[in-house]
Amino acid sequence: MNMRLAAAGVLAVMIPALAYAGAAQKPVLDAYAAQAKAEQASFAGFSAERGKAFFLAKHDASAETPSCTTCHTNDPTKPGQTRAGKDLAPMAVSKTPDRFTDAEKVEKWFTRNCQSVIGRACTAQEKGDFITFMASL
Amino acid sequence: MMPRILAALGMIACIFGMGFLIMGPVSSANPAPDPVYVKECSACHIAYPSQFLPKRSWDHILGSLDKHFGENATLPPKSLASIKTYLDGHAADSNGSNSRIMRDVAASQTPARITEMPFWTHIHGRLLARHAFDAPKVKSVSNCTACHRGAASGQFGDED
Repeated sequence: MNMRLAAAGVLAVMIPALAYAGAAQKPVLDAYAAQAKAEQASFAGFSAERGKAFFLAKHDASAETPSCTTCHTNDPTKPGQTRAGKDLAPMAVSKTPDRFTDAEKVEKWFTRNCQSVIGRACTAQEKGDFITFMASL
Repeated sequence: MMPRILAALGMIACIFGMGFLIMGPVSSANPAPDPVYVKECSACHIAYPSQFLPKRSWDHILGSLDKHFGENATLPPKSLASIKTYLDGHAADSNGSNSRIMRDVAASQTPARITEMPFWTHIHGRLLARHAFDAPKVKSVSNCTACHRGAASGQFGDED
């Protein structure tokens, strides 16, 4: 078997696969984009950079959970741990591909964790930025 | 010959029987818990056996999920109702009272957590005194699995 042909074949399959990284998250992201547009007419799309800053931020709302990183650690490609000691699958989509594919589950956890960590609901912009960051890792 | 065999069999039966008496109500805690309870209440910790707390404690926990031991754990109303029905029906004091679990719990008390139940502090008292639950691998008194490997399926008879 020709090695170069084999290598080209592998690349041919990989490139579309790489392009589709995050495709499973698209429906959830599109829904948040629509909401963000409704919440803010000046909405101009989501940003992984903003999502990263949002993820790492420290807040005053809770002594137990001052940041998303409290349970999910500074590195979303690594497993996290709840305060009760239970392991959490990495938030990074590359490590846990079904993250952010179930709209109901995503909303349940944003509702809870935004209240816990930040002391308020997250905006659709923040949710979309967050998911975009996690899908970029 | 026969009497000795019978005696040996009798002794074995006694040992097994005693084992069940001692370990029974705790080690085989609720073998088939409600799937909604397990799904919704095991994301952050194990789905604790329903018979480890009286009904009033479970009701208090379910009524304050927005302030659940330092976090917001609110549930959609339908799931909440389903879980409440399950916990109320399988608590330490449902269908009469589990005397081992409810031991020393005053009628005026509503323990806020399993680790406040007298049965729990009695069993784990020495570990608490040694700060065993502060160890990094354990992390928390809520982390039963750290020592009870079968805790997630209701088995607490063994310890590591």
